[in-house]
Amino acid sequence: MPPSLITAPERPAQAVEPPAGRSNRRRRRSMSLTGWAYAAPTALFVLIFFIVPIAIVARMSVSDWGLFTGNRGLNAPENFTDVVDNRLFWPAVGFTVKYTVVTTVILIGLSLGLALIVQESNRWNGFLRTSFLVPSALGLASASLLFYAIYSPQSSPLGFLGVSFLGTPNAALWSTVALIVWRFAGFYMLLLLVGLQGISGDVYEAARLDGAGRWQTFRYVTLPLLRPSLALCTILCLTGSMLAFDQFYLLTKGGPDNSTITVVQLIYNMAFFGGNNLGRAAALSIILLAALLVVNVLQFRGLRDREG
Amino acid sequence: MRRILLSAALAALLTASLTACSSEDGGGTVAPPAGAGVEGVDDGTELALWTRAPLELQANALVDAYNKSHKNQVKLTIVPNDDYVAKVGAAAGSGDLPDLFAADIVYVPNWTNAGLFHDLTESIGKLPYADKINQGHVQAGTYEGKKYVLPFVLDLSVIFWNKTLYKEAGLDPEKGPKTLDEFKAQALAVQNLKKKDTYGTYFGGNCGGCNVFTWFPMVWAGGEEVMDAEGKSSNLGGPAAQKVYGMWRELQTAGAIAPGSKDETGATWVAAFQEGKIGVMPYPATLLPTASKSVDVGVTAIPGAGGGESTFVGGDGIGISKDSKKTQQAWNFLSWLTSEKAQVDVLAAGGSTVARTDLADNQYAAKDPRLVTINKAAASPQSKTPVAVNFQQAFNAPGSPWVTLLRNQVYGDPSSLEKDNQAITQVLGQ
Amino acid sequence: MFRTPQRILAGGLAILFLFPLAWASVASVSPQPGSAQIDGWGFGNYRTLAAYQAGIGQYLLNSTAVSLMTVALTLAVSLFGGYAFANFRFPGRNVLFLVTLAILMVPYATLLIPLYVLLNQLGLQDSLLGLSLVLTMFQLPFAIFMMRISFEAVPKELAESALVDGCGSFRALFHIQLPAVKPGLITVGLFAFLAAWNDFITPLVLISDSAKMPLPLAVANMRQQVMGIVDYGATEAGVVVLALPCILLFLALQRHYVRGFMSGALKG
Repeated sequence: MPPSLITAPERPAQAVEPPAGRSNRRRRRSMSLTGWAYAAPTALFVLIFFIVPIAIVARMSVSDWGLFTGNRGLNAPENFTDVVDNRLFWPAVGFTVKYTVVTTVILIGLSLGLALIVQESNRWNGFLRTSFLVPSALGLASASLLFYAIYSPQSSPLGFLGVSFLGTPNAALWSTVALIVWRFAGFYMLLLLVGLQGISGDVYEAARLDGAGRWQTFRYVTLPLLRPSLALCTILCLTGSMLAFDQFYLLTKGGPDNSTITVVQLIYNMAFFGGNNLGRAAALSIILLAALLVVNVLQFRGLRDREG
Repeated sequence: MRRILLSAALAALLTASLTACSSEDGGGTVAPPAGAGVEGVDDGTELALWTRAPLELQANALVDAYNKSHKNQVKLTIVPNDDYVAKVGAAAGSGDLPDLFAADIVYVPNWTNAGLFHDLTESIGKLPYADKINQGHVQAGTYEGKKYVLPFVLDLSVIFWNKTLYKEAGLDPEKGPKTLDEFKAQALAVQNLKKKDTYGTYFGGNCGGCNVFTWFPMVWAGGEEVMDAEGKSSNLGGPAAQKVYGMWRELQTAGAIAPGSKDETGATWVAAFQEGKIGVMPYPATLLPTASKSVDVGVTAIPGAGGGESTFVGGDGIGISKDSKKTQQAWNFLSWLTSEKAQVDVLAAGGSTVARTDLADNQYAAKDPRLVTINKAAASPQSKTPVAVNFQQAFNAPGSPWVTLLRNQVYGDPSSLEKDNQAITQVLGQ
Repeated sequence: MFRTPQRILAGGLAILFLFPLAWASVASVSPQPGSAQIDGWGFGNYRTLAAYQAGIGQYLLNSTAVSLMTVALTLAVSLFGGYAFANFRFPGRNVLFLVTLAILMVPYATLLIPLYVLLNQLGLQDSLLGLSLVLTMFQLPFAIFMMRISFEAVPKELAESALVDGCGSFRALFHIQLPAVKPGLITVGLFAFLAAWNDFITPLVLISDSAKMPLPLAVANMRQQVMGIVDYGATEAGVVVLALPCILLFLALQRHYVRGFMSGALKG
């Protein structure tokens, strides 16, 4: 089976090994210098535009840092305790987790279904693939604006349903999930399609000869072999959902009754919507970053254990 | 590993230098705005001005008129409404604010408190009409006895009703509500037409700012206050406020509020009336020309339970930023902005309320009695601009305790009033 | 095998996926109250869009400039970066790779204020180049990941033969490996374009000069020109104008783009 996409970071480099010999050490040194030279632009970008800002965020998180007033000195760990004591903190965490689980399950399930449907290459499937993929060309903000118009009683083409799309907590959640599924299903379908096509025809042939039915083939052949691609999709989807912001910012503003407020929205509110406190916003960002790191590390671990 | 340490050290260094720089305010010596007389300096300087998108119409008209008649040229930047604070905050933190910027008047106390504006006390004092400028705005822009802000665009809340629907419902199309009971009765009368897609009234059921703007005057009209004088504690559990909530709750129970209200975040809260689907509702006066395009509109001041007249003196104030190096030129714009030329020939001509009491009876107002009503409402002693440092967080922000309170009062369990009011006080007092 | 029900299901799904865009296109030219197109069908909303402030030409130009710069920068950085990660061992390699991926894990909104301060320090405030640099950074996790697996998918023998021929690594990259990773590059470039073209919140904070605003910001401004009213007509027209170039580009490059994903996994 092909090495998975997801394990790429753990793989040793497929370095173009230099011929063995006395000069081996020097060669290796020059290799590493050349390697750094090629990686330098990446390193520079990451350093200047990511590490430095993150360092500033970290510094904000332990400082009394107002939006308008700037840094007024260290105050650790006040920001962190303030964040946890915020009346919306636990509801936001709860909702983010719920939204993440719902979105991930639906999105991955549907994408897998779509990938299986369009697996074979032919003209009809080509059309289907394109239709599913086209929404991924839109920005999330445009897609949210578009759905905002679709859901608004004023302009909705679905007015005949007589449903309030954003009026109750549940409706708001499902309406947002629908938007996200529409926007991302094609993309995940493509990733899974890649995984499906990586499974050699011989495996299916063998399964067929063993008398496996369609369901059995799927359950015992396709699914296990697809695990790396599924894992990649899950990681991307979990990370994306835990950072959900644009869709809720445009569609619900966290309403009704603060039922759809996500963690990132809370960060935004703390910084810009009334809180005007960058310190607290930064503290919550750091907490979120830590949570994401834990989730991702657990995923990598789990994956490696099962594969090992 | 050494390399990582090295880059970490480098990052820390960079951070330190950055923050060191960013905490410096542009505190160099800048010419005091008042130094160049009442009119400031008009010498062909380019000035930057920021405002939020909903004021674009007025801002464009003002800037165009100014640029045509002055050597100074104002460059206008429009920022989406919901993101204005983020934009100003980013700029303020690194000493990068434009010369002039407008702010929702309810945010102004917070921003003067944070020192975002230049002190204009002396300059304002020199204006011959200083005491005629809208006092609500001037007071909101006063901090520790210094004046920082002048009115940019005034927006008042008044009652609008749809005369056509009133006629159909057998109401007098020339008489709006004078008490809350009349408001309720008239909304119910329109509702009872049982016309498709037509409702008695509408409100922003999930919008803090909308109901600050429209419900506070209903409390003020009876002579009560919504907050203490310092803006540190809330009186929104008081008897006058309870009557307001009670009326909306009854209208909701009677089905006289359009169903979109419940999830209205404020983005479209005036649209249904404009489409002729609503009988009567509190409305921004600035939108009279817009609404009149499609609806025959009647206008009156906002009444309280026992009558009275009030309005929320809202809109945006404008000041010179702490970071401006061209304060005398920026003052030239502000001085012109409050002059008769700008107030009457630009704002009143465009259908906006003037910000000077001595100009209320202008030729444009004379043509439309409704504008006189609006100007009179602005001058009523019960009309106010509420002042509180944490106003945005307590009332306007999505998910604010005020939104929780009003939703409980209209849709949920009204017995939580005391607790919800406490929650507002807590945020105000922070 | 009897496939009709599946076909109907799939066709129905396809219609469901195409519906919102089709609706937006139709609604943008249909009459609706509160927009520039009140009576009858026509292009009133597009005329509003075209005439808005600096004019749509300026906004399209800004968006195009930002997108092209972002694409060029992303391609350059990820080409070299992917090559380095796939073909060389060097100290700090894994750490750098993981830190690059960690960019995905940080909430966007938090980074913007520090980035704003940083660009000011670099003298890049209010500039399209500064905006492109930031957008490129946000593209790196995907781009580096993609280019790394693309380079790793290039058969070893090919890379080795180049070195045996006495090619330096630079020439090996451009003459031997580049053609092999072309699908990956196209995928990365397309994604960078889509992200840069559509981004709203980054230019909101980083760009103040109205003459330098990209299109999404102008559309956001147009949407709410009057307090309490959303101009749905202008919104729909804006979504269509924003989406059209993306969809066309997407369709034109679809074949390569799908191959880009395939090449990495298939032979990896």
